[in-house]
Amino acid sequence: MSKNVFYTIGLLLVLSLAVLAGCSSEQSQSSNNETKTEKKEAAKSEDKGEVNLYTSRHYEIDDELFAAFTEQTGIKVNVVKGEENELIERLAREGDATQGDLFYTSDAGRLHWAKEKNLLQAVDSETVNANIPENLRDKDKEWIGLTKRARVIVYSKDRVKPEQLSTYEDLTDAKWKGKVLVRPSDNVYNQSLLASFISLNGEDKAKEWAKGIVANMARDPQGGDRDQAKAIVAGEGDVAIMNTYYVGVMLNSEDPEEVKVAEKVGVFFPNQETNGTHVNVSGIGLTKHAKNKENAVKLIEFLSSEEAQGKFAEANYEYPANPKVQPSELLKSWGDFKPQDLNLSELGENNAAAVRMFNEVGWK
Amino acid sequence: MFVQLKNVSFHYKNTKELTIQNFSLAIEKGEIVSILGKSGSGKSTILRLIAGLEIPFSGSIHINESIMADDKQFIQPEKRGVGMVFQDYALFPHMTVAENIKFGLKKMSRIQKKERLDEVLALVGLKEYVKRYPYELSGGQQQRVALARAIAPNPSVLLFDEPFSNLDAELQIKIRDELRTILKQTGITSIFVTHDKMDARALADRVVVMEEGTIFRVGEPAEVLNNEFTMSPVPV
Amino acid sequence: MKLFRLMKLKMNSWAILSFLITIIIMMPILFITFEFFTRSSENWEHINEYLLNSYLFNTLLILFFTGLLTVFIGVSMAWFISAYDFPLRGFFKWGLILPLAIPPYIGAYTYNGILNYTGVIQSILRNFYQIEVNQKYFNIMSIPGAIFIFSVFLFPYVYLITKNFLENQSASLVENARLLGSNSFEIFFRIVIPISRASIVAGVSLVILEVLNDYGVVKYFGIQTLSTAIFQTWFGMADLGSAIKLSGILMMIVVVILMAEKWLRGRKKYSYSNSKVRPLKPVKLTGYKAWAIFAYISAVFLLSFFIPFIQLVKWTFTTYKQVLSDEFIGLIWNSTFVAFTAAAVIVVIALIIANFSRLFEGRVTNLVSKIVVLGYSIPGAVIAIGVLTLFIALDRQLLIFYQLIGLTPSLVLSLSLSMLIFAFVIRFMAIGYNSIETGFDKIGTTFTEASRTLGMTVTQTFFKVDLKMIKGAVAGGFILVFIEILKELPLTLILQPFNFYTLATKAFQYAGDERIQEAASASILIILISGVSIYIFHKVLEKEPG
Ligand SMILES: Nc1ncnc2c1ncn2[C@@H]1O[C@H](COP(=O)(O)OP(=O)(O)OP(=O)(O)O)[C@@H](O)[C@H]1O
Ligand SMILES: [Fe+2]
Ligand SMILES: [Mg+2]
Repeated sequence: MSKNVFYTIGLLLVLSLAVLAGCSSEQSQSSNNETKTEKKEAAKSEDKGEVNLYTSRHYEIDDELFAAFTEQTGIKVNVVKGEENELIERLAREGDATQGDLFYTSDAGRLHWAKEKNLLQAVDSETVNANIPENLRDKDKEWIGLTKRARVIVYSKDRVKPEQLSTYEDLTDAKWKGKVLVRPSDNVYNQSLLASFISLNGEDKAKEWAKGIVANMARDPQGGDRDQAKAIVAGEGDVAIMNTYYVGVMLNSEDPEEVKVAEKVGVFFPNQETNGTHVNVSGIGLTKHAKNKENAVKLIEFLSSEEAQGKFAEANYEYPANPKVQPSELLKSWGDFKPQDLNLSELGENNAAAVRMFNEVGWK
Repeated sequence: MFVQLKNVSFHYKNTKELTIQNFSLAIEKGEIVSILGKSGSGKSTILRLIAGLEIPFSGSIHINESIMADDKQFIQPEKRGVGMVFQDYALFPHMTVAENIKFGLKKMSRIQKKERLDEVLALVGLKEYVKRYPYELSGGQQQRVALARAIAPNPSVLLFDEPFSNLDAELQIKIRDELRTILKQTGITSIFVTHDKMDARALADRVVVMEEGTIFRVGEPAEVLNNEFTMSPVPV
Repeated sequence: MKLFRLMKLKMNSWAILSFLITIIIMMPILFITFEFFTRSSENWEHINEYLLNSYLFNTLLILFFTGLLTVFIGVSMAWFISAYDFPLRGFFKWGLILPLAIPPYIGAYTYNGILNYTGVIQSILRNFYQIEVNQKYFNIMSIPGAIFIFSVFLFPYVYLITKNFLENQSASLVENARLLGSNSFEIFFRIVIPISRASIVAGVSLVILEVLNDYGVVKYFGIQTLSTAIFQTWFGMADLGSAIKLSGILMMIVVVILMAEKWLRGRKKYSYSNSKVRPLKPVKLTGYKAWAIFAYISAVFLLSFFIPFIQLVKWTFTTYKQVLSDEFIGLIWNSTFVAFTAAAVIVVIALIIANFSRLFEGRVTNLVSKIVVLGYSIPGAVIAIGVLTLFIALDRQLLIFYQLIGLTPSLVLSLSLSMLIFAFVIRFMAIGYNSIETGFDKIGTTFTEASRTLGMTVTQTFFKVDLKMIKGAVAGGFILVFIEILKELPLTLILQPFNFYTLATKAFQYAGDERIQEAASASILIILISGVSIYIFHKVLEKEPG
């Protein structure tokens, strides 16, 4: 009997293995689907190679820019879209075998973290150095900021006069009790905000601030940045801590109700008289074990170019990192502002302390 | 000796004490043996051991001079040529009566299978039910299909676990008499487990009374069954 | 000598295969456990002091009330559907499984989208009636909100299992009770609940395991639970040691639940070896009773499927121009292909191991069946990293081999879909396995034994008898796994190969960026594909005789 059994079972096993093997070859097929146009381009201009990107940004503008890059250079861009922390972990585990050439994420703290874990390497490109100011680049050139985003105070135009607003610290004043809205602390934007305060004001002051905000919260932290704007208009609170580009996106939303909400809130750049408004970046780094180093640098150069930077500014209401490019009309209408004077690497250095601090003060 | 059990002991996995203790029995070719005994005395277990559905803990089992089970060897049930009618019939619910009966028929042409099917169906009187599914049959009819299915492959040993418990008296007598005739004609060695001493008397050449996993009494039906003392513990 | 004989008897190919599969499945889990001993957990003190209590409290609170609500909804639905006839019963019978097609995190986004300030309810009240409502009553982002979301989208597990049981196995008891003059309430509380205990417990265990491992809903609502804590400590604090400690706590809860399940289910086995299963005949209701039940069931259906579905359809209409492209054909293909393949592998493995462990009962086999289902109690992200580590290690071993056959890249396996599928197999084995094991439980071993005394080997019997008899369970297990993988997110996000997107990751891409309206197209497609599978599942079950 055992012979019989072996044959049937063997068959089963071979079948399932065949299916699995099929999957691996399937992968290239499905990538055809995804990047059909790029493939065609690549074929036209012979094989110019490819570049592999791990990104945690999920904006369509990024895909458009990659397509434009492929069109210009013939280099195919392969993408894994994930969440920043998991991508870092994946890079770390893959080690020198990684196929990822670039790591692209929307938080300087995470970029710094990747650097700390020895996952990145320096990029020395004339073009990049010319396009992106030094303060938006890592001091060891291991990552490059591509867009800027300001985390500001958004207020109800009905109930709050801009004159009443001044600083982040002022939000901890008793007059805002039960009026402050902000999202949960597991979000990197908040973590980097607090990390910047730790750098600028010291641990004690930063903790005091976090404690003060918790005391003034209008409700338990919940939802995303947009939800805070909605809560203002709904009357749940008067002021919220938000990234500016969300206001921009909402003003241009398909949903008329969102537009109405965005029209009812104002944007205020805090700490203009003191140490400046918190600015974070979306940035990109070349991985330590990149296999397509040249192509990767070309992509970074492309993304820092005026052409690409213009598109960032228009599509996503982020501030371009390239000073030669104007921000969108909307951003200009909010006026100029003074940013924090801070090496962005410090956002990463203080991240862990910030996370602990949030837990200690009970910021959910 | 056609079927021979020597000092067979056995216990189920989750029990400590032996369900079968030092059980020895020799059955001649063509003999019909009936096993009686209290519920739980181990009757079904003996059949399962002979069929190869359980592995003896010690002792040996031989059928037709070849070893079925001992300390070194164990022949799988499908290789033993032992047929069995289960206490709860075990008809395959996804097969019709015909498919159930033909299930065990191997190495036969379609026509041969059909012939055999008709033969055994005639025996159990279920000719017009070939196309039915088991759940469309009464309890007694199901039992008869189970009987037919076990007989069909012509096993050299046939085991019956209370085969008539669901039949009405008239049918019971009819089937059991016909069965005895067939068994005797074909020379199939068979073992019946039953609760009904009338069955035992009518069918068996020899009767074994079991108690707590051992043989309490063996002998001619008349001799064993007339003894009131032995019979009292056996419920009907 | 005897031991040798026993070994020879048991070491047939079923055993060998089962052991092999078990070892392969265990490897990634071992990798992670190994790191537990090698990595420090420097934040443990901190977690213990500030977070653990509230993590545990929130988790248990949500588990308890979700369990209670799903049992209440699931069992009452199952009873009404199997015992009574009322308007639209035929539709509700399978319509009530449909909520399973909506991933809870999408449900959460959708409900918040309906209820919040810019949502349809508030905008209508505001724009047409000038009514400004108190946000408190419309805020779903809270623990009660999460309980609501989990309950409405997960109750079908309880409903499904209990309904199948009641329909097929309770006829004689219920009919007896009716003859004895019990009224409906008595029958429900004194008969239905006690006899369906095993099914209820089986269903609610699935619900609880789903809730324990949920990440999307609680993260979005800002509720801290064990699963968010695992993500936060591991990825946020880079503290794998603490993350694994937390996973350990999670697994302990799971083990307690599974033990409770075993105990609550009792030692009863439901084999129907005499093929005498009679379906329960529903009693036709008229008048107010019929309409009361109809109203109750409709309300549940509206909340758990229809309302969120319609909202998503509406959003799809407002955004499809921006979002929908021929790329979606690729997404549909990717999603169904991965889900289908993984589900098929799971079913094949589950069949092998379940058959092995039922035919050769014993301590070792028992252990094997426990290990294969372990993955369901481990958070997706933990499995993902374990699998990733294993595949990278494998790739490194195979490096020379790759060079030999002329392949340049150093990572082959870990960039292929097989890694993702392997992880799915580990993660969702339990769902397929449970379904198939229940199928085997139901038929018992008598049929197999009968077949063997009729001259069939174990393997022949498997194909001719066992497999045919548990067809329904196999199909059921396959479809449940298929739907589950279609909805899966954290694992896919970590293990996806380059340029490989699924409907779920597409939906996440928008939802994660707070663009739930744009996420609607992908979500609707997930729901449609799952919905069709559920309908097929229902049809398969209907055809089963018993
Ligand atoms: N699978 C099993 N596991 C453990 N114990 C068992 C198992 N099957 C039977 N037993 C036990 O073994 C003993 C003998 O059982 P067996 O079925 O052989 O009795 P029986 O004589 O056929 O009874 P009945 O007349 O009721 O059919 C009983 O005490 C029974 O409880
Ligand atoms: Fe953002
Ligand atoms: Mg018996």
